[in-house]
Amino acid sequence: MQVFFQTIVGGLSIGAIYALVAMGFSLVYRTMGLVNFAHGNVVMIGAYVASTFYMTTQLPFAVSMVIAIVVTGLIGVVIEWVLRPLENRDFDLMLIGTIGFGIVLEALATIIWGATGRAVPSPVPAEPLNLLGIRVRTYNLVVLGIAAVAMILLMLFLQRTKRGSAMQAVAMDYEAATAVGIHVGRSNAIAFAIGAGLAALAGGLVGPLLYVSPAMGGTLGIKGFAAAILGGFGSIPGAIVGGLAIGLLDGFAAGQFQGYSEVVVFLVFTALIMIRPTGIFGERTVNRA
Amino acid sequence: MRYRLVVLALAAVAAWVLPYGLSLYAIHVVDVAIVFAILAIGMGLVMGIAGQINLAQVAFFGVGAYMTAVLTTHVGMGFWTAAVLSVIGTAVVGLLVGTPALRMQSHYLGIVTLGLAVAFVSWATNSPLAGGASGISGIPAPTLFGLDLSSEYLFYYFELIVFACALAFGMFIVRMPLGRRMRAMRDDALAAGAVGAEVRSLRMAAFALASVYGGLAGVLYAGLIRYVAPETFSIANMFLLLAMVIIGGRHSLVGCVVGALGLSLLREALVDVSTYAQLAYGAVVALTVVFAPNGLAGLPGRVRSAWGRRRPDKAAVLGDFQPYEPASPDVVGGPDRDDWILDVRGVGKRFRGLIALQDVSFQVRAGEIRGIVGPNGSGKTTLFNVISGLYKPSSGQVIFAGKPATGRPPHQLAHAGMARTFQNLRLFHLMSVRENVLVGLDRSRIRSIWRYLLWPIGVFRDDREMHRAGDELLARFGLVDFAPAAPRSLPYGTQRRVEIARAMAGRPRLLLLDEPAAGLNGEEVRQLGEIVRSIRASGVTVIIIEHNMGLVMSMCERITVLASGSVIAEGTPAEVSRTPEVIEAYLGDAEVNDNFSAEDELPPATVLDATP
Amino acid sequence: MSERANEPSTLSERANQPSNVSGELIIEGLSVHYGGVTAVRSVSLRVAAGQSVGLIGANGAGKSSTLRALMALVPRAATAVRFGDVDLMRVRANDMVRHGIGYVPEGRHVFPGLPVEKNLMLGAYAQRWNEQVRDTLAEVYEIFPVLAEMRRRLAGALSGGQQQMLAIGRALMARPRLLLLDEPSMGLSPKLIEDILAVLQRLSREGMSILLVEQNAKLTFEATTECLVMENGEVAMQGASQELRRDPRVRKVYLGL
Repeated sequence: MQVFFQTIVGGLSIGAIYALVAMGFSLVYRTMGLVNFAHGNVVMIGAYVASTFYMTTQLPFAVSMVIAIVVTGLIGVVIEWVLRPLENRDFDLMLIGTIGFGIVLEALATIIWGATGRAVPSPVPAEPLNLLGIRVRTYNLVVLGIAAVAMILLMLFLQRTKRGSAMQAVAMDYEAATAVGIHVGRSNAIAFAIGAGLAALAGGLVGPLLYVSPAMGGTLGIKGFAAAILGGFGSIPGAIVGGLAIGLLDGFAAGQFQGYSEVVVFLVFTALIMIRPTGIFGERTVNRA
Repeated sequence: MRYRLVVLALAAVAAWVLPYGLSLYAIHVVDVAIVFAILAIGMGLVMGIAGQINLAQVAFFGVGAYMTAVLTTHVGMGFWTAAVLSVIGTAVVGLLVGTPALRMQSHYLGIVTLGLAVAFVSWATNSPLAGGASGISGIPAPTLFGLDLSSEYLFYYFELIVFACALAFGMFIVRMPLGRRMRAMRDDALAAGAVGAEVRSLRMAAFALASVYGGLAGVLYAGLIRYVAPETFSIANMFLLLAMVIIGGRHSLVGCVVGALGLSLLREALVDVSTYAQLAYGAVVALTVVFAPNGLAGLPGRVRSAWGRRRPDKAAVLGDFQPYEPASPDVVGGPDRDDWILDVRGVGKRFRGLIALQDVSFQVRAGEIRGIVGPNGSGKTTLFNVISGLYKPSSGQVIFAGKPATGRPPHQLAHAGMARTFQNLRLFHLMSVRENVLVGLDRSRIRSIWRYLLWPIGVFRDDREMHRAGDELLARFGLVDFAPAAPRSLPYGTQRRVEIARAMAGRPRLLLLDEPAAGLNGEEVRQLGEIVRSIRASGVTVIIIEHNMGLVMSMCERITVLASGSVIAEGTPAEVSRTPEVIEAYLGDAEVNDNFSAEDELPPATVLDATP
Repeated sequence: MSERANEPSTLSERANQPSNVSGELIIEGLSVHYGGVTAVRSVSLRVAAGQSVGLIGANGAGKSSTLRALMALVPRAATAVRFGDVDLMRVRANDMVRHGIGYVPEGRHVFPGLPVEKNLMLGAYAQRWNEQVRDTLAEVYEIFPVLAEMRRRLAGALSGGQQQMLAIGRALMARPRLLLLDEPSMGLSPKLIEDILAVLQRLSREGMSILLVEQNAKLTFEATTECLVMENGEVAMQGASQELRRDPRVRKVYLGL
């Protein structure tokens, strides 16, 4: 029982990270049709920037996070700017272009921070918390809490504010949005910045959870992307559900199959997506043939 | 041609004498580069030729290498037995990894294949069978006809021969009907299906091909290094391979090879600053997709077209259409006068609650020209999509040539004699006009794919026969001057004609034309009328959706009128144009200018006269 | 809705634009090319302030393209496109609404994943969402009572007719002086077309300028005072709607006989 609940909490907290990554993917895709395979590497840069400022300059964790968000936002803007000629024209090429950016970011991280990676100390006490007789890592709860707040804020922004509604409107119908006076380019830029911010947040949070290394972007990005697709690509609630699902799958597979957990996660993912290519909340048809 | 032979001969000689100038280390680097080149050919076939985003190519490589290692060290097989089994095993894995392509494309397929590649590395790192992180060493050196291939120089020659065969076979496939169908599928899967390409099987074939190349590369790698470890097959190397293919030019196998060799050698040269090299090739990939989407292989073409622009081109002319031989009367009408070639029975189609078609029934006689008209959004194109097998109807049935057509995929219907064009032109835009027509002519099936390996001469002969028929068709449609051109470079009206030629290439019994006159000028509309009449005279039934009422009224024997998804009238043009429901559907009210009948005198030289 | 029609407070009277500029739309020599195809060839037309003008013709005649070009949604060329004293050739598509031009796109372009009320509120995106916008919302609900009933539903779940009403209502939320409509009757039943007609007639009585692009000639003849008939990208005929209604050449344009 003890192990079971620990697995759930652990799975959910890493799942919350995947959910943040997936939300970033989905937001950027919804608003500008850019499938950003480099998103995982942006997360990795976010993790490095946040942990660097946190560990070396002794800045408070929150301030480091803000700096990380600014940096990832800038990276996002550069990627979008370079690949803009391909938007709405050649999906596959654009996707490969973002892979190119991913390679660049990984190399950059290696040059700046070295290839070995680092362990980031938890910003909260390390001793586990006792919840109704179940011991859980305190930091897991912190991650869950912050991710939940971020998701709620994003949902509120999208549903309650004029700018948020406009952003969704642009995603749903570009032309009608223009006709009511929405500046599509500006709206997309904000969406992109939010996506990058989510990446930095995920990166900052994941630091103390996993080992931070230039290669972490790969796995994180692939699993975040898988989460987005599982939930239904482009859907924000789908990203959350998909992220938590992949996180739980990850946790239980690690418990049951140890080293083979990745194999199990991706085989299960492939099977699920074969059964339902549009994902849980998906509305678009996938197969264009 | 002679120029090419010379280049080829020079390359062969250079490759043959190359080892004489190389150190042991250098020849090792070259050997590894060739392995990557073979891997890249497979990647080019699946991604550049067939358009399937496959990010598991490095895993195929790994499966081949690991199988060879396991079979030789654990099972104790000889190298060559293990090699053959490994290539077969990799092909099986390739088919499995490819199955998601049946359901999804583009980035979905990308993430699934990438996930499976990660899974493979994870398995290799953890499995005791694969030796874990330390991998498997002690793979026996292969010997061939008594030659010990543990010498890297000798292995080079062995590899060179395998590589030459692999490249030649790949290029053979690309140029032959199979590759043409794959390229058609890459450019437009929907249109490829409509002209008879078995899209799903072709996707599987592409994955099978890619995995065979991957397996081959794996076997060579195992024989060369005689040691396998997980990091060789990592995602980083997958992306490196991707970079090779993109930078070299994914649509050209030679480009892929150049990219692979170039990047392999560069990586070796820059091994001391490998991180900066990684930075550079990542950046080059990002810039390549934006500024040179066809990579290095696309550059000569660009230079040529820049050069060509400076010289006045010989103006290509759209020739006259050469009418078909009229079929004998017993084909058109005759005793079969009451034969329905198409019988649409109570067809309904809904999209998530929206009713697009409702209880549509009508029959088309063999040898008829039938018009289907109706206001915007009345469901005409949906009806075509149901008839041609793109949509499954929600209710009702379509009978084509006496057999139920509902539920049969488009390519089967195409083989059964149905052809269509599309409202928004769906030509294969990366292929020439000639190739577009050749795909339409191509009736070969995926089940005869074995001939590529076992009877290539037969394939070659078939292709030559197709080219002959294609040239005939191009001449008939007056397209000879445009044969080598890219469809998008042509005037719109010419593109429309290419699409009709492509549809007619399959010698259909029923031709569906979806707004063929859209965007055509008066003269082009007149020519279109002539073409359609001649097609019908040759014994082909034609159904035409058209808004140009002048054309429809002058050409069709019967007209079916759709409004809001239902048939509201059917009859001869004269009958239909007097039906109040039709006038209501078009004008909103039968009373609008009803004070005059159609026979009333019209002012002379009216600007409105669109009747050809 | 008819008893409300005579009341003084109307959508267009309270248009949020300075009312001293004359609101005449002038289009001269407008052309649109797509690739190698000329969709619209040198079209000229005028819509005087408060006037309703129709643009009819068969499918593919270039009506929608004319409207989209006017809205700067497609690349265009023209001698002049002016609304009042504003040069519309210099106005970007997303600023048209700020110059008092409302646009109802063809094929019910609502925001399917957003609730009806949010769709309407986004119509007033260019304004501050204040009391005045709330009043406009109430007026739109009064014109289209069915939208008030459905206010919390997702727009994508509405029927075709309701979506069309939503698209018109959304354009009205900006209190435009000129309303551009692209085939509002497409795919609607005769009863719903009647409803749309009533709304257009009411808006016109209230002083709103209307440019109606339609295939449905009857609707257009009844909703407008003047009409242009387009064919092959050009204006083939033009005249008073009541006269064109009796002109047999119109039928010929549509039916080819």
